[in-house]
Amino acid sequence: MVSKTEETQLNRLENQVDNGGGGTWEYICLVRKLKVRRSDKVLKHGLSILNDPKKRSALGPEEWTLYEQVAIAAMDCQCLDVAKDCIKVLQKKFPESKRVGRLEGMLLEAKGSWAEAEKAYSSLLEDNPLDQVIHRRRVAMAKAQGNISGAIEWLNKYLEIFMADHDAWRELAEIYLSLQMYKQAAFCYEELILSQPTVPLYHLAYADTMNSPYNNNGSRSAKKVLYTLAGLENLLTAKKYYASTVDLTGGKNTRALLGICLCTSAIAQLSKGKNKEDKESPELQSLAATALEKDYKQRASDKLSLLTSALRSLKI
Amino acid sequence: MGLGFIVGVFGVLILSHAAYSTIQYRGLLKIMEEEFSGPPMNVVLELLLGFVFCIWAALTVPGNFHSIHPDSEENRIVSLSANLDFMIFNHRAKAFPLEIEMKLKH
Repeated sequence: MVSKTEETQLNRLENQVDNGGGGTWEYICLVRKLKVRRSDKVLKHGLSILNDPKKRSALGPEEWTLYEQVAIAAMDCQCLDVAKDCIKVLQKKFPESKRVGRLEGMLLEAKGSWAEAEKAYSSLLEDNPLDQVIHRRRVAMAKAQGNISGAIEWLNKYLEIFMADHDAWRELAEIYLSLQMYKQAAFCYEELILSQPTVPLYHLAYADTMNSPYNNNGSRSAKKVLYTLAGLENLLTAKKYYASTVDLTGGKNTRALLGICLCTSAIAQLSKGKNKEDKESPELQSLAATALEKDYKQRASDKLSLLTSALRSLKI
Repeated sequence: MGLGFIVGVFGVLILSHAAYSTIQYRGLLKIMEEEFSGPPMNVVLELLLGFVFCIWAALTVPGNFHSIHPDSEENRIVSLSANLDFMIFNHRAKAFPLEIEMKLKH
């Protein structure tokens, strides 16, 4: 989870480091702490530290963590020789280490030798059958080979054992979304919201899933009434979750505000034929529109006219 | 932090001095056989001064307070971490190798 102050700090350090000012080690530590994926920068600046013997000895025992981080960044940037060299250094220092064995497996994955990587992971799992990271790597390998249904199977089996693993639920939700299986993705997001109710991004993703037009796909050909009803329910849920995202972020999340406007207009369109009493107050949409206009005026005033015309078309 | 600490120690010393003077004053009153209505004026002043010093030190020494609002700049989550355990390596960036040749030089 990256908070706003951490994001500004990360960007500031990144600018500083890219323009040649110091602070390389703080930048790399911050990237490791926030778990963001900045492989090219980590590789460049990590190698600048590692190739300089003075800076390397100044790190002390953290040197080995840096080797690991640079190895993974090198694999991500396809500099496999750098990765192999780093892993060799780590092997010399820590022979018979599971962590280094895992890195070797990842190197085989990056090279594309799937069968050997699978063998390496299975042998590591024999010694330690409950190693979460190796299970996750197996899922990632299935995904990388294009075997999405296999990845889903592995991930479901993994989640039967480790039911509280948020990252895995998130990964499963994203895989389902890529296959347009929105009901299953919604289930995964519900699990995430249950376990971490204060993270507004899960609410937002859930609302987006509920808002999607294909979510009503169950019986498209069948009874029209059922389709409309299903659409309305999901749209109401989506509106509720967009509103909760706005609540949790103090109105600073533009996507949630836009979502509220879209949902309200879609609900109004769908329930035009019905004789619903107006229990939803129209204030929510107008308040969201005002907040959006203020935000755009402050941050992107040249696009304000686009926004006002879009909002006007929604209100009809 | 150093100044706050010193001020705090000073405040505690003032308070203990005020306590000692009150006890001495009570002893004096017992000798003179008068009622103990309250500590003398200067002891009350000393008490107030010690109180102010201690409160100031207690607020400054621990450092910045963390915000508890979920939507403050410090706590507002803008993006999720990148799920690095599920990262795959055969993505499209394979077609754009890095321009500079990177090497580990030992």
